[in-house]
This record gives sequence, C-alpha cells and structure tokens, in this order.
Amino acid sequence: MVADLRCDVLVVGAGPAGSMTAKWAAKSGASVIMIEKRQEIGSPVRCGEGMSKAWLSDVGITPSNRWINLEVEGARIYSPSEKVMEINEKHAGNEVGYVVERDAFDKQLAIDAANANTTIHLKTHAKALLRKNGAIVGVKATHFGQPFEIHAKITVGADGFESQVGRWAGLPTNLQLRDMDSCLQYRMTNVDSDVRYCDFYLGKVAPGGYVWVFPKGDGLANVGIGVQVSQIKNAAETKDYLDRWIEHHPGYSKGKKIDMVGGGVSISPPIKQSVTDGLLLVGDAARMIDPLTGGGIANGCIAGKIAGKVAAEAAQTGDVSRTFLMKYDQGWRAVLEEKLLRNWVAKEKLVSLPDEIFDKIIDALAGVKLEKLSVLNILKAVKDKYPEVTKEFENLL
Amino acid sequence: MPSKKDLHIESSGEVCVSCGACVGICPLNCIYLDEWRIGFDEDVCTRCNICVRACPVGAITIR
Ligand SMILES: Cc1cc2nc3c(=O)[nH]c(=O)nc-3n(C[C@H](O)[C@H](O)[C@H](O)COP(=O)(O)OP(=O)(O)OC[C@H]3O[C@@H](n4cnc5c(N)ncnc54)[C@H](O)[C@@H]3O)c2cc1C
Ligand code: SF4
Ligand code: SF4
Repeated sequence: MVADLRCDVLVVGAGPAGSMTAKWAAKSGASVIMIEKRQEIGSPVRCGEGMSKAWLSDVGITPSNRWINLEVEGARIYSPSEKVMEINEKHAGNEVGYVVERDAFDKQLAIDAANANTTIHLKTHAKALLRKNGAIVGVKATHFGQPFEIHAKITVGADGFESQVGRWAGLPTNLQLRDMDSCLQYRMTNVDSDVRYCDFYLGKVAPGGYVWVFPKGDGLANVGIGVQVSQIKNAAETKDYLDRWIEHHPGYSKGKKIDMVGGGVSISPPIKQSVTDGLLLVGDAARMIDPLTGGGIANGCIAGKIAGKVAAEAAQTGDVSRTFLMKYDQGWRAVLEEKLLRNWVAKEKLVSLPDEIFDKIIDALAGVKLEKLSVLNILKAVKDKYPEVTKEFENLL
Repeated sequence: MPSKKDLHIESSGEVCVSCGACVGICPLNCIYLDEWRIGFDEDVCTRCNICVRACPVGAITIR
C-alpha cells in the first residue's frame, strides 16, 4: 500500500517544463510534488539537443559545463539540391546556440526544483484525474505499480508530447496530421559533422520537416529527421527517409550508430485553451513547440516559470478556478503566442514551396552575410539574383 | 462484411522504441504507453491507421 499524498501544486512529468514549473511554484511558497513515470529523469534522451542561449537567464537557468556540450557559431540551411546558406546563431531560431547533454540538463532543472523544496517521486505514473464538483483535484497514480492518489489544489500537465493529462481534462490538444512531425534520430560516431554549425537539410529528403545534424564534438553527432505525418503514407517511412539520407551522404554513411530515439513533435498553431478548473498545461503537453524550428525546450521553460508562479498564487488564495488560471494562459500568450502563430504560418508556406524555388532562394542567400534575418532582407537578396522568383515567393510570405 | 473492428491492432515490442509518437497523435486517445510498453483500447480504436503512419519505425500493424 502506498499512502495518499496531498499538496498545493502537483506537477505531472519531470521534463524541462515540469521542473521549471515546480521550481517556480516552490519558490513562490507552494508545497509542490512532481511525479515522473520513468526511473531516471532526462533519460532516454528524446531530443536533438540544440538550444538557443538568450532566454536562459530570464528563467533563472545558469549555463554550466555539466550540461553544455559545445557552442556553435550558427546554422547552415541546405536546400533540396544542397545549396547552403549560413545564419548567425543569434538569428537561427530556438534550436541553435548550445548543443547540450539533455539528460544532464533535465537533471539539473530537477535538482533546481528539488533545491527549491519540490518533492519528487520517480516510477510514479499518473493514470487518471481526480475530480470534485467539476474541478480537477489531483490524480490517480501508481508508484512501482501500486495505486494511490495525490490530492492537489492545482494539477499541472507537463507530460510532454503524449499529453494525456490535457486530453483527460478535455482540453483541445488533439493534433491535425499536418501539425505533427514523426521523428527519429541516431547518435552517430565517426561522422564528418562540423562543430561550428547545426545543419538543417530541407525539401524532399524530409517532406514537411527536415534532417538535422547537431554536432557533439569528436566526430559524434545527433543525426535525425522529422517528417510531417500528413505526408507519410506507409508504416516506417520516417526511418526509411532517414536511412536513405544517411546512405546518400558518405560523411555520415561511414559512421556508426550508438543510440536511437523516436518521438513526436507538434508543429501546430497555439492551442485555444490551456487551463481549466484546477488544472493547467505547460510545455509539449500544451503544444508549445515552435512549429518552424521544432524546438520546444525554451518555450516549455519560459511558460513553466509563469505557470509555477500562477499555480502557487492560485493555491495560496484558494481560487483555483479557470477564470483565475487564465492569468497563466494570458501570461504565456503574451510572450509566445504571436511568434508561435507567425512561425506556424511560415511553416505552412515553407512546406508548400516547390523544391526549385527553395533552391533559388537559398542560392541567392548563400553569398550574402545577412546580419539580420528579416523577410525584407531575404526578399531583397533574392530579388537581386533571381528577380523572377521574388514574385512567386513574395505572395508566399 | 467484416467490420474494421474485427482487425487486430498491435505494436511489436521487437520494433517499438517507446517514443510515444502514436500516443500523442491518436485522435481517440486510446493508446497507452506505460514506461516501455504500448497498449491499445481495441474497443475504442477505429483502426484509422493514423498511428501506423506516425510511428517512425513501423512498429504498429493492423490486420
Ligand atoms: C527527436 C526529437 C528531437 C528534438 N530536438 C529538439 C531540439 O534539438 N531542441 C529543442 O529545443 N527541442 C527539441 N525537441 C523537442 C523537445 O524535446 C521538447 O519540446 C521538450 O522535451 C519538451 O519538454 P517538456 O517538459 O514539455 O516534455 P518532456 O521533456 O517530454 O517531459 C515530459 C515528461 O513527462 C513524463 N510523463 C509522461 N506521462 C506521464 C504520466 N502519465 N505520469 C508521470 N510522468 C509522465 C515523461 O516520462 C517525461 O519525462 C525534440 C523532440 C524530439 C522528439
Ligand atoms: S488506429 Fe487510429 S484510433 Fe486506433 S489507435 Fe491508431 S490512431 Fe488511435
Ligand atoms: S510510435 Fe511506434 S515506436 Fe513510438 S511508441 Fe508508438 S509504437 Fe512504439
């Protein structure tokens, strides 16, 4: 028998978004429990391990050699015929800056949460929600397979892409097929990756997504792919696309695989509702991944800080209503929504761009050092080299 | 005519990499991933094939 537990704020899932929420809720004075179904936080690593830098200090994360693998100068974008353009790290989106050890990063955030007085339970799996008068008041869970209940004033769904908590609560996290990438990644050794860049290969090699190579130093790299599910017809196509790409790139086909992970990435517009009475969603569970880059670590952490503060305040005032929790909904939207929406529109346009046009755009940009990446700058560069292309591409933007 | 519901859906433990992609996309939320193992609620599943396409490694079969 496992004894039932009680707390102000219960966080389901100890990924970056969950640990961030737990830390900020605990720092704000709430009693916090965080549960994780795995036996080890951060492992297995379901991630390319690329992240930008600028947001870290805002959410109270101190860069540390314990989890930073290396720093890159920028991104290289490869068109379908492998024309290349470079983008400086500062403008290359939320996956470019550091390459990290995700397991160490996730553990550090959990340690930060623990140091702020969060109680953590591993091997503890939320199975259903507890409800009272229509509000969510905790979860039914198992700990080492033994059922028990956790009663909480506020329950936080930080359960990642699977997003069970949100769906149990009736929140609209279902995805359209065009709004999800099916992903697979190998960690490979003895490959020719360049430690100065995170590389992205777009176009028919990965319909609706891209192949990524994020270097880890000493010939080690994360080589992965995301393919838009709406463009997949048969079983195992994601793996086929990745294997084919590797086969056609001698610098990689000579490498050896030492690890393999799969996963789902949402590339959707922001969800319409992230809170209900007694519950809020954060991170991948709330579909906060940037739909253009596929990066979700930064957004999950940024929203987690807001979630933690609002959850603690709700528990302390005793007002756990949806109306009160809208403060969180509005809080993350103020910071993330416009960009998520803009990048979703950009993603929709990008996936409809014919390969030939895409080749020309990248070719036009290849020679130019774009200090600032803006639509206007891109248009100007393309106009100079391929005036005929700008027309088609102008209305795409 | 046999209904789709007569078809059996399963994920091969030998192929599955426990990634949760199928769980997150199933429109009826009828797939479960404990820590490692995938299970389906066959009474709810409509055999729509979406999870089969979303699975990166082709672990799921309906037959
Ligand atoms: C292949 C791949 C590559 C990626 N590459 C990048 C990248 O390079 N850069 C980037 O920024 N983002 C990347 N992402 C996205 C990034 O991994 C996620 O956005 C990030 O992990 C989200 O954090 P989270 O805390 O919301 O969820 P997660 O990190 O998924 O954490 C959720 C946690 O909840 C636990 N959990 C789930 N259900 C339950 C339950 N019922 N009870 C208890 N615990 C539960 C899970 O075990 C997990 O530990 C990638 C994703 C994939 C799949
Ligand atoms: S076939 Fe469709 S309904 Fe059945 S488990 Fe797969 S996605 Fe869900
Ligand atoms: S998508 Fe495929 S590999 Fe991933 S958990 Fe589901 S069955 Fe397993």
